[in-house]
Amino acid sequence: MTAKEAVSRFIQDGQTVTVGGFWHAISYALTHEIIRQGKKHLTICAAGFNEQADQMIGAGCVDRVVTSYLWLEVFGPTYAFRRAMEKGIPHKIEIEDYSNFSMTMRFMAGALGIPYIPLNSLKGSDMMNYSAWMGDNKVKLVEDPFGSGVQHALVPALKPDVGYLHAQRADEEGNVQLWGTLGDSPWSVRACKKIIVSVEEIVSREDIGKDPNRTVIPAYKVAAVVKEPYGAHPKGTQGYYREDREFLFDYVKRTKTEEGWKEFMDEWVYGVKDRTEYIEKFIAKYGYKKHLDLKAESMQSGSVNYGY
Amino acid sequence: MSEDFTLQELQTVIAAREIKNGDMVLIGTGLPLLAARLAQMTHAPDMVSIYESGAIDTKPKILPLSISETCLIPGAAMVGGLLEALGLVHAGDLDIGFLGGAQIDMYGNLNSHVIGDYHNPTVRFAGSGGANDIASGCQRTIIIMPHTKRRFVKKVDFITTPGYLTGRDSRDRLGFPGKGPALVVSNLGVMRFEPESKEMYVESLHPGASIDQIKENTDWDIKIADQLKESTLPTVEEIRILRHELDPDRLFLREK
Repeated sequence: MTAKEAVSRFIQDGQTVTVGGFWHAISYALTHEIIRQGKKHLTICAAGFNEQADQMIGAGCVDRVVTSYLWLEVFGPTYAFRRAMEKGIPHKIEIEDYSNFSMTMRFMAGALGIPYIPLNSLKGSDMMNYSAWMGDNKVKLVEDPFGSGVQHALVPALKPDVGYLHAQRADEEGNVQLWGTLGDSPWSVRACKKIIVSVEEIVSREDIGKDPNRTVIPAYKVAAVVKEPYGAHPKGTQGYYREDREFLFDYVKRTKTEEGWKEFMDEWVYGVKDRTEYIEKFIAKYGYKKHLDLKAESMQSGSVNYGY
Repeated sequence: MSEDFTLQELQTVIAAREIKNGDMVLIGTGLPLLAARLAQMTHAPDMVSIYESGAIDTKPKILPLSISETCLIPGAAMVGGLLEALGLVHAGDLDIGFLGGAQIDMYGNLNSHVIGDYHNPTVRFAGSGGANDIASGCQRTIIIMPHTKRRFVKKVDFITTPGYLTGRDSRDRLGFPGKGPALVVSNLGVMRFEPESKEMYVESLHPGASIDQIKENTDWDIKIADQLKESTLPTVEEIRILRHELDPDRLFLREK
């Protein structure tokens, strides 16, 4: 399936969507397709967001965000996000603030069919006292029913309609193998009713079967597998290519103004019809050598014996 | 002792010395990363670095610019996700975590959410990330921050990250595994927290800094230790390691 078809069929206006990945394993290919197709009124969820959220928010796709973090670490601010929060550009958005671990636990509860998980995180912070739309259902302070006397912050399960991420490989059925930092995926996608995934390579079921411990999502949850090499650029995919630091610094610099942000989007999202055109444009602008410089070195893991 | 050092290098060395050999340390990029690496190369060879992204006991060959960069993975002892790394933090297994923020108050509470009203912020920041989890779970935390009146405030606009809350036993009563902030290192001095009141006080001044400067740059009447010291200076070897081995391209130590 193409990215265009997968997004058209499986991501609908108004849905709650997990955006998988944590700096690593983020599908910009599927993100840009969501933006190009003009999806609206989405509630996007992830423990940590960067400019994939910035782009969706600036494009008007997002009404609500459930997250712990939305920024570009030392690279700089996500300015479209700030414009939305501080000035309501393009429209007001709401954000339900959690911490990294409490977000992961919300997803894990969702994936495991548990209604809530008790935590020490969030206690004493203003995240207990303020909510965007969830009100009393955002988090509850409850004394341990088993008698320790300790109060815990209970966070409710989060079960989005659909989730998407980028991974190294999957077979056609949808058994997805991912390595490198996992962030909050796979829990954040396993908590979803449906998953679509973009991958560097599609491999055979036999290949998956040679290393089943590496599989993070079992096929029954996966509705679509899209082959999209370089689908995570400007972030990395372990074993394939590293992060494009210059591209990220450039994004922050260019998008400080609304005009600059629109120019960036016209160049890299609206001005290309798919990821193939994006890569061609990248090579035309930055050169083939730069494209090759991002390619990962070979650091093979060796193999382990699964025999019995 | 080295006479040639920047304030950033001094802050890094002070933070590094707080790490004991064998400590498990939750780090992010920037000065905390350099502090951890410096500690590991000097007095704490057995310390273990953990990134909240899921990389445990990392040995990157280049300086990572993000906590989840691909260069962190080869050579690491264990790689998982937020569950594996922050799960250890939640269980109370980590000795030290590093924190920062837009604002800090006299009890070491930090704000990285908003300036102004939460629902209509004047400025919106990144949010907690792992900071809230780190402050709740790590046994001790070290805070590195620039010392200005806009940052060292009477009361933070939003408590993202609990320090000692309203002082005294207000933190203890909530039952965290982590005991709270141990150290604040700014570009003017080193602050710690009084054992009873849990109020921040100035323990030492950096060379060139004065009590007046600290007071001008703090929005409350900050306490000064009776036995105010001068911050211990870096050694020549510590500076050499920072400049020539750890950050030769000055990605983080950008001060001249």
